[in-house]
This record gives sequence, structure tokens and C-alpha cells, in this order.
Amino acid sequence: MTKSIILETRGLSKTFGGLVAVNKVDLTLEAGKITAIIGPNGAGKTTLFNLITGVYPVSSGEIFFQGALLNNVPAYKRASLGIVRTYQHIHLFGNMTVLENVMSGRHPRSSYGFFEAAFRLPKARREEEAISLNAIKYLNLVGLGTYAEHDAMSLPLGQQKLLAIARALATEPRLILLDEPGAGLNTLEKRQLSDLMRSIREMGISVVLVEHDMPLVMGIAEWVIVLDSGHKIAEGTPVQIQKNERVIAAYLGEEVE
Amino acid sequence: MSSAQFVQYLIAGITSGSVYALVGLGFTIIYAVSKIINFAQGEFVMLGGLLSFTLIHSAGLPLIPALILSVIVAAAIGAAMYLLAIRPAKKASVVSLIIITIGAATFIRGMAGQELTKAFVRSPSFSGEQSISFLGAHIDPQALWIIGAMVLVTIIVHLFLTYTMVGKALKACAINPVASSLVGINPKTMALIAFVLASALGGIGGIVLAPLTPMSYQSGVMLGLKGFVAAAIGGFASPIAAVFGGLLLGIVENFAVAANWGPFTSSYKDAIALVVLLLILLVRSGKLAEEERAG
Amino acid sequence: MLASLKRNWSYLAITGVIAFFMLIPFDWFLGQYTTLMIFIGIYTIVTVGLCLLMGYTGQVSLGQAAFFGMGAYISAILSKTYGVNPWLAMLIAAIMTGAFAYIIGYPIFRLKGNYLAMATLGLGLIMWILFTELSQFTGGPDGMSGIPSLSIGGFVFDSSFRCYFLVWLFCLVVLLISQNIVRSRTGRALRAIHGSEAASESIGINVNQFKVKILTLSAVYASLAGSLFVHYLRFVSPQPFDFLASVKLVVMAVIGGLASVWGAIFGAGATRVLSDELLLRFGQWDIVVYGLILVLVMIFMPEGLFVKLKELYERFRFRYRRREAQP
Repeated sequence: MTKSIILETRGLSKTFGGLVAVNKVDLTLEAGKITAIIGPNGAGKTTLFNLITGVYPVSSGEIFFQGALLNNVPAYKRASLGIVRTYQHIHLFGNMTVLENVMSGRHPRSSYGFFEAAFRLPKARREEEAISLNAIKYLNLVGLGTYAEHDAMSLPLGQQKLLAIARALATEPRLILLDEPGAGLNTLEKRQLSDLMRSIREMGISVVLVEHDMPLVMGIAEWVIVLDSGHKIAEGTPVQIQKNERVIAAYLGEEVE
Repeated sequence: MSSAQFVQYLIAGITSGSVYALVGLGFTIIYAVSKIINFAQGEFVMLGGLLSFTLIHSAGLPLIPALILSVIVAAAIGAAMYLLAIRPAKKASVVSLIIITIGAATFIRGMAGQELTKAFVRSPSFSGEQSISFLGAHIDPQALWIIGAMVLVTIIVHLFLTYTMVGKALKACAINPVASSLVGINPKTMALIAFVLASALGGIGGIVLAPLTPMSYQSGVMLGLKGFVAAAIGGFASPIAAVFGGLLLGIVENFAVAANWGPFTSSYKDAIALVVLLLILLVRSGKLAEEERAG
Repeated sequence: MLASLKRNWSYLAITGVIAFFMLIPFDWFLGQYTTLMIFIGIYTIVTVGLCLLMGYTGQVSLGQAAFFGMGAYISAILSKTYGVNPWLAMLIAAIMTGAFAYIIGYPIFRLKGNYLAMATLGLGLIMWILFTELSQFTGGPDGMSGIPSLSIGGFVFDSSFRCYFLVWLFCLVVLLISQNIVRSRTGRALRAIHGSEAASESIGINVNQFKVKILTLSAVYASLAGSLFVHYLRFVSPQPFDFLASVKLVVMAVIGGLASVWGAIFGAGATRVLSDELLLRFGQWDIVVYGLILVLVMIFMPEGLFVKLKELYERFRFRYRRREAQP
């Protein structure tokens, strides 16, 4: 059986002025796996996410999602294709309740617009009902069901991160990109996060995470990609990566500081 | 267009451009230090004009003391605006700060209309009304005062920013507020100084302009907007760029009126600056958006 | 049982409010305030649009009076100069103003924050200059009079009494539509844009398109209000659409609470009462007071006066109810 590929990049590069943030990176991500992208600070991990989600235009190279070229698809359309992300700085909607945040995530899976909304036409009412039912489902999945009516910003950091994941899941992605989901979490919260990532994968969603916490990465990732100064320097299973000399060198260079 | 006419329009352009330059300078300094666009900037030009008129006519002060006092009062109002309206709004969003400075502008404008004068007023010229001939053009001596004031003030501001401790601190704060607060520069004090400086610059613009162009308490909006255009042409990057932006706008505006094509007579003079404003904003929108994100 | 009682109470309250509004223009009740109430209704319509744009979506407009003026002038010129039926004139004005907003929306929303504010201010001033200078169409600074009233069959809306009901009917429809939008998928998208544009894009919201659409809707509201304004007054001049008018609209939105639909009535009401009834007697201090309101409200209650009052009331009621529940 051939493995199905969810995301592929070929010679992907991004330059800012003279600075090459991502340099000719070739990636092949297998569907239904948890992949971690690691690397020292400034390795280009977040820039890579921004290229995949369309925040920045690509300087050169190609991105394919489920075999289709993604380069010229505007950022907002990528969610309906099935790519979604979370942010390192969370970016919740502070002017909404917890539930409304997740309901916003249903945006690409519903379609009624200004006109139907203005007159509360049957289509609007029907979709609205489905939106809130689905939102509650995803909220319960991350264990925040009891906080539905709270203000989003009143949650502690750990739960805000879970909420951001629930909002992303509500878009029904094929691929979810998590930018440093573990940062700022305590040990218990990290364990919950690992469990959540596993259940996301069980739902058939491919997970990619950028993460600095090595025990977390090595405990959960099935495939690890290492970036350094914009280059891909290694990839493999966690065990292979831990033994890789280039990786150790790259990290030692950072940790000496 | 004859060469005499050309000179005439050029000098008229440089003259009004000088005032825009002074306002633009104020915008740039405040923005650099505090990342605030002060929508009340134009009101200080109006204040300078009306204050100097009132002090000369109603209070009967001699010219020089009246001018000095006008600048001091304008600067003091600038300080009060920062201390009473801007500083208390901690952590305000961009939208809130816009509304606050608009509110302050409206307040200043209303007070000027109530307490100074409601009429269009024109101060006496600094050095007589006798026009000077220059390359066939007739120049109002006040125009020379305006241009001279702008050049002098620009040089002083440049020297201040480059050679004094306070000026250097302002610059440091503009480049990196976090790092400068670590070395003991208080960003709030720097913002206060920026507001005082900018209001004084506006006030100076107003007192030199008032003898040439009649002003009323409503004149601030348009002058502020043109000063903003000056700063935007300069990309809010450096004070000198804002000065050149102001001069450029003044010259473009005057030649566009001179061209007098179609139905667009001199009554559309202000509209020209507005069109330039929109063009500048749209052409530079990519870069401006990046700045906004970084700021 | 208790729930149905409560629902009956709120129905009763709504009926009471509607009855109160219906009775206002009768001479034996509050008839002397009919004109004031008509202005409040008209300004409420404009303010609601501004609240959707500024409060919910977070996009500043310092030129909203331009759309108000476009509605007013297009309606006036079509119905008076070209003899178009006033209703049709009103419709054409709304379509033209909306189309204008839609067309400028795409370039102008490449700007954010301060620069967007400055651009809208500039646009507002340009429109005002056009109202003043295109005197062959607009009558210039003196304006134009003799604009026909709206009418249905033989029933002409030519008195304040009649116009009152027409204006408030429009106002009610605009408020209900706006409330429906706010509580919908669209409303969430707008608030999401205010909360974080980056996150909005990542969950599939077409940020620019929503901004343009809400600008267009707010322009249509303002245009309708402008048409009602001129067909009621039967006169139009540039003065109600100058820069200060745009600032006053912001004051109305700020008092009402930027992110509050029904607060718009309160904002428009408070501002008009301040201008027309209270301050006029002490000379034109209203500008000073508006400036003060903007600064103070933004410093001490950025969510708006109306919203703050509502919050206090709810806290009070909550405490009261808890005390009641205790044995």
C-alpha cells in the first residue's frame, strides 16, 4: 500500500530583504501522523508555518496540499481546504465568550451571509443551530464544556491554548499546525496536551507541531524534522534524531550560549 | 506660464509648504516617540495664530512678547493634553487613542472659538505690507518670515536631536523604547517632551502664518491634515523627510491651482492636498501596514 | 411557571416602550419634542452603522458624515432637479452610496488603524468640498430648498407628526436587522476581525471582504438616513455633513457603546438633546463638551457610557435577585 501524502514542499524558500529565513526546504508529510518540527531559535520553523498557511507569500518553491498546488491560494481559503493552525501567541478573540470562539471556527463549514442573517431566514436559523451543536462538541473534546459562557480571556493560559485548538478543530481540518502548543504549560497540562494530540490524530487529522520541549516532542511525535538556519538538516524517527550528530551539533551550538 | 509667474507660484508653494513642514515635523516627532498619530496637531497651528492675534489686539502686547507668549501657551496646552488625556489612557487601543486625540482636538477647537474669537482674523505683518520684488515676482515679506522661521526651526530641532542629551534620549526612545527604559530613559517623560515640542512647532507655524492667511478656530483640521500629508510623504521616517514632504505638498498644491484646468478652480485647493493624501496612503499602504504591525 | 411569568413581563415591557414611542408625537403628551425625536431617529440610523463598523469590526471611520451627505444630496437632486419620485430617489441614493463605499472599500482597507482613520477623514472632507463647490448641482454653501416630501398615494409625509412614524419605522427596521446581523455567523466574523485579523484568516474568514461589506452596509444606512433627513426638512446644505458632523457621529457611537446596537438610540438621543436643548441656550459650548466626552469616555469606560450603565444595572439586579433567593 502506498502511503498517502498530506503535504509536500519542494525547494521552498522565503527571504526577507537579504535574510533567508527558509532555504530550499523539501518536506513530505505523511497523512495521519504526528510530525514535529524542531530546531534552534531562528531556524525558520514559524516562517515555515506562515508559508504553509499563506500568511507570507512564497519567495520560491512549491507547496502541495493533498497533491494540489497551494502557492497562490489566499490564506483565508486554506481553512476550507483543510489546513488550520494555532499561534504561539494564541490570538483568541477576546471580545467573545469561550463558546463563540469555537463557533467562529465553524465559519468555513457554514455559508449563510449578510442577507440571511439580517432577516433570520430559515437557512440562517438552521445553520446557526448546527454551528452551536458542533461548537459544543469540540469544546467538550478539549474539556472546556463547562466554561462555554465565560469570557475567553478569563481562562488561564493552559485552557486558552486548548480553546485555540478547539477553535481550529471546529474548522474540520485535514491538517492542523500547532505553533509551540506546550510553551508555558505545566507538566500536567502538557500531559493533557499530548493526550489531546493523540485523539486528534485518531480522528484522522494529521498533526504538525513546532515545539521546543524535547521530552514532549520525543514522547509524541512519530516523525521529526530538524531545521537549522532555514535548512532542513535531518529527519527521522525520534530515536534516529536523538542520535544524529548534525542535530546534536546544531543544538549544542545553541545551548553553549 | 511666464518665468515671473513661475517664481511667484513656487514661492507661494514654499511658503505654505513651510507651515505644513512645521506641522509634519510635529507629527513625526510624536509618532516616533510614542507611536501615536496626534489628530490634534493642526489645532496648535490654529492656536498659535489666534493666540498671537488676541494677545496683540485684545491684550495690546508688543509683537515679540506676544509671539513668545503664544508659543509658550501652545506648548503648555500640548503638555496638558498629554498629561490629562493621553497618559491616563493606559494600554488604550489604537482606536481609543485616535478617538482621544480627536476629542482633544475638538475640545481645543471649541475652547478657541469660545474664548478667543469666532471670526476670521489676520495678525499684523511682522515687517510691513510692502511687497518685495524678486525675479519679477511680488513677494509678501511675511512669506520670507514664514520660510525663515521654518528653516531656523528645522535647524534647531536637528541640532537639538543630535547634540543635546534630551534630544539623544528622544531618538533612543524612538528607536527602542524597551532598551532605552533599561538605561534609565523614561518613555513617558520622552512622550511628554515630544508633545511639548510638537505643539510649540505647531504654534510657531500658526504665529508666522496668521499675518499672511486669515485664520479661524476651524482652520486647524485642514492644516493638521496637510501636516499629516507632509509627514506621510516623508514616511514618518525622519524629521527632515517630513520637512521636504511639506515643501513638496505646498509646491504641488500651488501649481495645481495655477494650472487651473477645467472646472477645478482655486476653491479645490484643499481637495488637491486630500487627493495627495489618499494617493500617498494607498501607494505606501504595504509599508505602512508593516509599520503598524511592528508598532 | 416562573419562566412564563418572566417572559410575559418582558413582553409587557416591550409593549410599554413601543406604546410610549407611539404616543410621543401627540400634543397632549410630548408633542413639542417631535422634531427632536425625528432627528434622534435619523441619527440613530447613521450611528448604528458606525457602531457595526467601529465597535464590532474595529475599523475607524472619521468620514461617516460623507455617506450621510451623499444620501441627502443624491435624494435631493434627483427628486427636486430631475423630478424623480422621492422613494425611488431614496433607493437610487442608497444604491449609489453603497456602490461608492464598496468601490473605495477595497483600496482603503489596505490601510489599518491611524492611516485608515486619516484616509476616511480625508474622504469625508473631499465629499464636503464637493457638496460646497459643485454649486450648479448642490446649490453651494446656501444649499437647496423645495425638496419634495415622501408620500404614499395621497398621503404626504409633510408634517413632523407624520414623519415621526416614518423615521422611527425605518429606525426600528435598521436596529432589528443590525441586531440579527450581530448575533449571526456574520456578526461573529466581524467581531473576530476586531479580535485578531491573523486568527480570523486562519479559520477561513475573508477579512477584507467582510470589512468592505460592513462599510457598504453602514454607508447604506447613512444614505437612507440622509434621504429621510432631506425629505423631512425639504432643505439641504453642506453644513450638517462637515468634519464636525463626522466627529459628532463618533461621539454618538462612543456614548452609546461602540459594540452595542441599541445603545445607538441612547448615544444619538443624548447628543441631540445636548446640542438642541441644553447647550444651545448657553452659546455653542457643545463642541467643547463633545471633545470632553470623547476623551473621558475613552479613558474611563472605553466600552461606552450606555454599556457601562447597563452593566451596573445588571450587577445591581443580580445582587438583588440573590438576596431574594436567600431564605
